[in-house]
Amino acid sequence: MSKRKLFLVSVSLLLITSFVLPAFAQDDVTLRWRTRPDNQAEIDVYTAASQSIDEAWDGVSLEYEPGGSETASYQDLLIAEIEAGTAPDVFWIPGTDVARFAEAGLILNLADLAATDAEFSVDDFYAGPMGFLQTPIEGQDTALWGLPRDVSAFAIYYNADLFDEAGLEYPDGEDWNWDRFLEAAEVIDGLGDEITGFGMNAWWANWGYFINAAGSSFFNEDYTACGLDNEATVAGLEAALAALEHGVAWGNDAEPPFLAGTVGMFINGRWATPGAIANAGFNWNVAPLPEGPAGPTNWLFWGAYVVNANTENPEQAWELVRRLTSADIQGQIASLGANIPSRQTEEAIELFLNTLPDSGVNNQAFVDGAAVGVTEAPLFSGDWPAIDQAYGTAINDVFNGALTPQEFADTICGDVAQYFEQ
Amino acid sequence: MQQAVLEKRPLLPRLPLIIPLMVIWHLVVIGASVYVASWLARMSITEFNERYSNIGPAVQDFMTLVLLLPAVLGAFSSVQGVRLHPSGRYAAVALNFVGMVLAAAYLMHLWGVYTGIDEFADGVVVNAGWLVGIAVAYALFWLAGRLDSESAAALWLERLGLGLAMLALMGLLWFAGAAEAAVSILETYAALETWLVTAALLIFGVVFVIMLYHGPTFGETTQQKNAWQGWLMLSPNIIGFALFFAGPLLLSFYLSFTNASVGQVPSFTGLENYGDILGLQVEVLADGQNPREVLWFGYGELTRLSIGDRTYLVGASDPLFWISLRNTLIFCLLLVPISTIPALLLAVILNSKIPGMTFFRAVYFLPSVAAVVGTSLIWRWLYDPTIGYFNYFISGGVDFLNSVGIGATDPEPAWLTTSGLALFSVVLLAAWQLTGFNTVIFLAGLQGIPRELYEAAYVDGAGRVRQFFSMTLPLLAPTAFFVIITTIITGLQVFNEIYTLFFVRPLPEHVTTSVYYLYNRGFFRFEFGYASSIAWLLFALIFTVTLVQFRLSRSSAYED
Repeated sequence: MSKRKLFLVSVSLLLITSFVLPAFAQDDVTLRWRTRPDNQAEIDVYTAASQSIDEAWDGVSLEYEPGGSETASYQDLLIAEIEAGTAPDVFWIPGTDVARFAEAGLILNLADLAATDAEFSVDDFYAGPMGFLQTPIEGQDTALWGLPRDVSAFAIYYNADLFDEAGLEYPDGEDWNWDRFLEAAEVIDGLGDEITGFGMNAWWANWGYFINAAGSSFFNEDYTACGLDNEATVAGLEAALAALEHGVAWGNDAEPPFLAGTVGMFINGRWATPGAIANAGFNWNVAPLPEGPAGPTNWLFWGAYVVNANTENPEQAWELVRRLTSADIQGQIASLGANIPSRQTEEAIELFLNTLPDSGVNNQAFVDGAAVGVTEAPLFSGDWPAIDQAYGTAINDVFNGALTPQEFADTICGDVAQYFEQ
Repeated sequence: MQQAVLEKRPLLPRLPLIIPLMVIWHLVVIGASVYVASWLARMSITEFNERYSNIGPAVQDFMTLVLLLPAVLGAFSSVQGVRLHPSGRYAAVALNFVGMVLAAAYLMHLWGVYTGIDEFADGVVVNAGWLVGIAVAYALFWLAGRLDSESAAALWLERLGLGLAMLALMGLLWFAGAAEAAVSILETYAALETWLVTAALLIFGVVFVIMLYHGPTFGETTQQKNAWQGWLMLSPNIIGFALFFAGPLLLSFYLSFTNASVGQVPSFTGLENYGDILGLQVEVLADGQNPREVLWFGYGELTRLSIGDRTYLVGASDPLFWISLRNTLIFCLLLVPISTIPALLLAVILNSKIPGMTFFRAVYFLPSVAAVVGTSLIWRWLYDPTIGYFNYFISGGVDFLNSVGIGATDPEPAWLTTSGLALFSVVLLAAWQLTGFNTVIFLAGLQGIPRELYEAAYVDGAGRVRQFFSMTLPLLAPTAFFVIITTIITGLQVFNEIYTLFFVRPLPEHVTTSVYYLYNRGFFRFEFGYASSIAWLLFALIFTVTLVQFRLSRSSAYED
């Protein structure tokens, strides 16, 4: 065969192959899904979870896309992709974003799909997040906006070495309340110039804990108005101010100095535990948040897997949400120790309690915190980003001394009234 | 006789073959252009919005008109081309060049290049070990170059090097997935669309090249040849500008008159957004009167002014816009002197002939080329009141003062969280980044001042200080104007530093600047129409400031 003929035969074969190959391709449904992982370990475990679901699911192929971190504007990218029509079929969003995504029509109401699904039960999950996920928007009778991926709660991370040095009992027990907490902050603060007793970040959840523990609330009972115009708000803020008198200056990230061993107590969620295990070079542990005048309280943080309103495969996307929140997959992810499964079953809780066995971390503190936690609320009857900004600005003035707690309580609800639907 | 000559003259000049071929091709383009434009025009608005991200009916009309442009250009170039008029050739060159670029871009999309390139790049990175082979091959070549070029050993080493390099490259491509990529590209030819786009690409390309080299046919002068070569050089930038800058700019202008939101079809609202942003109300406030009693619904208190014995309440329909504007202007007012005066002094020092100045020029310029996000994160750490170096040095200074008997109190500033200090902290960071750039510009200006002037001034008895104020500064005026203008524009657009330095979202009011505010309205509150209006108001502000600066600069130049 001459070179010319060989060339022509090769080209012909190539062209025929290019036409024939697609005919043999499997007619799979491909679903893309995305989470916001905090680190490579989480990316690895989500990738493995995706592969295990993919292998067990005929006719559907999964593509897992780890989204950027919180600081890399996970939601901004997602919104841009939704607008461009290139967003994944299923994605995770924080609990506080569910309302604005739902009201903007960006996510699918899964109520009808869930109603026909015999294997699905609302009661399997923490009631708080499910309550918000089932809130219908105008013109709807029923709703299900997604299923919670996991939950989390705050705890007090404490430096056991500093407690020992100060001669203090570790923060635990029935009398672990604000009096003991403030006393511990003051005593530890007195250990040296570079040591501070307490630290918390400027995120609303931190000062919000003090508000809740004093008996106040961000919103009224049905989440239709501000709930901060009362004396409990004043008491909560005064306690927070008292704690920060012996703490890391307001608004600064308290985690690095805690990990450097210069902070006695520090409020943060379960997500900070792996970092503390890896980086803290001293004896530390976690304890429940101290009990305030209104009794034990905490936050129940959560995020949900939701379905893109423009997905071409809503049934499969719903099925993926269910599979991603199954006990088995939640077990795989909980094994990292960064999150608590969103299924409130004994099996799931037991699974979480046995994570990070070598670290000696008091996992029970988080489970107890979640049990008494005020559920992080998506605001269906107001503009949460605007309210968040107004709260944040005013609270910044309080902690910087430009506004007293009483002035805050007197004015804040009037300031944000325009952001609630009348 | 004269009449006979006229009768024999052909109606059209004798045409090269490419002209009728070009006309035929342009008829195809006109047909396609009209077909696609009419298809788009007839598309229901619902379908259009579903296909194109709820972009709205005005964009549908605009896109229809844009799609008719190739038809207009094709018709014009055909008519003028047949007459061998230069404008026909230019129109044909432009049409086919742009067509070729767009067809190539679309073909790459069909091939999956944009989505597959990441995967291929990952494959290259994972198999980067093969690059060792290329390094060894280079070493063999280098060795061969050291030997006698006629020697057998040199020839042998060169061949060995070449073979090894080819092998390494093939190995790298193979294991990186080049074969799979090629197969997946071939698979796209199962669709007719890929064939059509490939054919269009080839024809556009061929017609473009042939028309490019047919200048003499159209009586092209050297000046005209130089002109199109210049335009050709500029074309990547022009096409990029039109697609990625002018297009979005026009879209944002359109959106600013709508209630555009993510996932929603925008409705035209006229000047409502602008009214909501700029709406102000001034009322006299009686003693003890609640501001809400006098403010219109939806208006919030912006500020109070005491004039005489009266208190005026200023309300705004969007107080945060005005607050963010105030913050931005304060930011600019602080940034300009802090980043230009030290830059000027540094430039004067660096302009001297002290040894090592080249090194320092590079050092001062480094912050300007470093990534803003990276430097902002480092500065966030430096500003940390507990573990940051700034407070560490302040505490050290206070300790020293106390040790020598001067009683001093450590202020322990909370740089990023104290309302009065946070914006200034951002200014410091921005000034640190800008000073190096401004220094280099000033340095270029200084080096443009003739030495002879200084020598003459020296002979006339002018000292260094007199020289600086009487000669250097006036002669640097155009440079200073440029530096101040660019610094003001940079300041008015500040976003990255603010976004990275503060990790709490949304930001408190005292550090919310205009660009951050429009980002907040767009991405947090999904009000893209409103955010676009803010962007255009900010543009108007920057444009006005620059215009005023230009006027002032010109009038002062005339006075001089």
